[in-house]
Amino acid sequence: MEGCSEPRLDAKSELVDFQWKLGMAVSSDSCRSLKYPYVAVLLKVADHSGQVKNKCFEMTIPQFQNFYRQFKEIAAVIETV
Amino acid sequence: MAAELEGSKALGGLLSGLAQEAFHGHQGITEELLRSQLYPEVSLEEFRPFLAKMRGILKSIASADMDFNQLEAFLTAQTKKQGGITSDQAAVISKFWKNHKTKIRESLMNQSRWDSGLRGLSWRVDGKSQSRHSAQIHTPVAIMELEIGKSGQESEFLCLEFDEVKVSQLLKKLSEVEESISTLMQPA
Repeated sequence: MEGCSEPRLDAKSELVDFQWKLGMAVSSDSCRSLKYPYVAVLLKVADHSGQVKNKCFEMTIPQFQNFYRQFKEIAAVIETV
Repeated sequence: MAAELEGSKALGGLLSGLAQEAFHGHQGITEELLRSQLYPEVSLEEFRPFLAKMRGILKSIASADMDFNQLEAFLTAQTKKQGGITSDQAAVISKFWKNHKTKIRESLMNQSRWDSGLRGLSWRVDGKSQSRHSAQIHTPVAIMELEIGKSGQESEFLCLEFDEVKVSQLLKKLSEVEESISTLMQPA
């Protein structure tokens, strides 16, 4: 479909490695008193051809806690299926 | 100074406009737009330094992420300065910061994040059933879709598949992150 922004759900990748870092942004040029903690994540994902790519992103603490909570739900569901 | 500039009615609107331009990345807010909308009786020559003063005050407050004690002290000092602000204006600025602090802080945090952020997350669990060629029955699989993207750029979608073992492994790593966060958040 032309111009369709739907994700390609058939292109599933496998998570090969999950690396994380808990950082604290202290100060920046636009804000001298930032003081916010964040979780930086590096995912190594392998597509169906076996090619491994790195994907990085950051989460705020509330975002991470939501991510963790959702993943615990996945774990609970997958056990019962 | 023009009497209109000493008033405080239009100041709330001015601060909103300044915040949109300085923090929330709104492009079209010029000084002429602000003047004509909020202080139409004031000349541009008089308006310009007034705008610069208010912008400076707002940026100082945001940059220092002032709490209410600091804000009080800062604004009081501004009212005592030569060419400073009136106490009515200080009250308007104080109210503005209290109402918009969280949103402004969020924008400042986003501005300083140059890596991708997590924009969305969805998932489902499928139960794989028996196939013709494999003896595998009932291996559940979790499919997670992550939407990530950099500020101002289109999202990238990442679709990951996990079996039970992989879910368990990742869960363990996530609990390590959670533990680190708890340690960090503990009072020293």
